[in-house]
Amino acid sequence: MIKFHPSSQQLKEFVEGSLTPAVSLLVSAHCDMCEQCQLRVESETEELAAELVSEIEESFDESAQFGDMLSQITQSPSSIEVDGSSSSYASNLGERTVSIELDGRSFKLPRTLHRYVDKTGNWSSLVGKLWQAPVDLGNQGVANFIFMGSGGSVPEHTHRGTEYTLVIDGEFSDGLSDYDTGDFIFMDGNKTHTPRSDTKEGCLVFSIVDQPLHFTSGLARLLNPFSHLFFR
Amino acid sequence: MLVGIPLEQSNSTIKPKECATEMSEHLVAVADARCKRSFSRVFNYFAPRLRSYALKQMGNEALAMELVQDTMSNVWQKAHLFNAEKGSPSTWIFTIARNIRFDMLRKLQNRKEDVCSDDLWPVLCEQTADLNEAPLDEQVTLEQIGYLFEELPVKQKAVIEAIYIDGKSQQEVANELSIPLGTVKSRTRLALQRLKGMLNDND
Ligand SMILES: [Zn+2]
Repeated sequence: MIKFHPSSQQLKEFVEGSLTPAVSLLVSAHCDMCEQCQLRVESETEELAAELVSEIEESFDESAQFGDMLSQITQSPSSIEVDGSSSSYASNLGERTVSIELDGRSFKLPRTLHRYVDKTGNWSSLVGKLWQAPVDLGNQGVANFIFMGSGGSVPEHTHRGTEYTLVIDGEFSDGLSDYDTGDFIFMDGNKTHTPRSDTKEGCLVFSIVDQPLHFTSGLARLLNPFSHLFFR
Repeated sequence: MLVGIPLEQSNSTIKPKECATEMSEHLVAVADARCKRSFSRVFNYFAPRLRSYALKQMGNEALAMELVQDTMSNVWQKAHLFNAEKGSPSTWIFTIARNIRFDMLRKLQNRKEDVCSDDLWPVLCEQTADLNEAPLDEQVTLEQIGYLFEELPVKQKAVIEAIYIDGKSQQEVANELSIPLGTVKSRTRLALQRLKGMLNDND
């Protein structure tokens, strides 16, 4: 059962579009798995939309502001007219990979992460029973799929930025709490933890380190924070 | 000199609920009939509000106007993706504006290859809209559902027949029946949904 959710503030900022792209990705993937947060996002969206509608200056001269914008827009065709048949959508959908493979096992991903299957690098073995596959998010910090095999553990570490983790499949503990599939975990500041999975199936998580981009010293660490988190 | 020109009723005095119903109807008219009159009502109501919102968010007049134009263009071009059962017109239009702003900010920061708004909020994805059709297209042939097909309303049957038996494109069907393409599209979708429902009932 999901016990760990994004905070109300994080959900609100997600709906506003003001959360960073990388964290938005994780919140969105969590919502794919969590009905409770889906509902919260829906009502938050309605609230912000209601604000939009009420947002209007008095004595506003409407016609003068927009010039020929209206006629420009209505001269363009609808997207149905442009795109033609719907069959191409269906076939695209069929071909899209929605799971990732490791060691003969296949893990189904939440919808938000589907597009990132293609951007996921090869699995590499870390210390004992721990596997990692990097995900390219452009210059949005570092994302990884991490698989903890049964009894596998991440060496104790602390965090410089904030580490966000979404449990995709399985259970793990970190000495602070027990986590289950769908849990959304963020660790920042000086918390020290030692994630490990003791269940037979192991545990797959998606994890990002959201280092602020104005952090200028230690560029190499920024590029690959996991290597120093894990091995130093 | 005062001349007796009647002032047009300001949109902002309309009560929210009535307005949502009215705007929904206009969006449907845009989707089905490319109705410019309906679109101009939607535009006149939302464009100033979007501009206010965008100015607050972007803090720049040119960017704000770009956001208004992109949002309203999407409303015009993709009105068929609006679904009144899923939410109000203002919610739908807000999410479009929010997504465009999100992508505009990414571009301004020169982030091309990363997270895009469609991943987070697939409000304008045709894939999502067509999700229900795909399995039916792939798994069931018309022979198998021939007897269910007979139960479709006449208008839907005509469209399905032309597309799936005669192999015509949706545009050809629209021309032939002299109906808007959006109508062909929505009739096709309704018919497929209905067939799918009947198939599930027969299981
Ligand atoms: Zn949740």
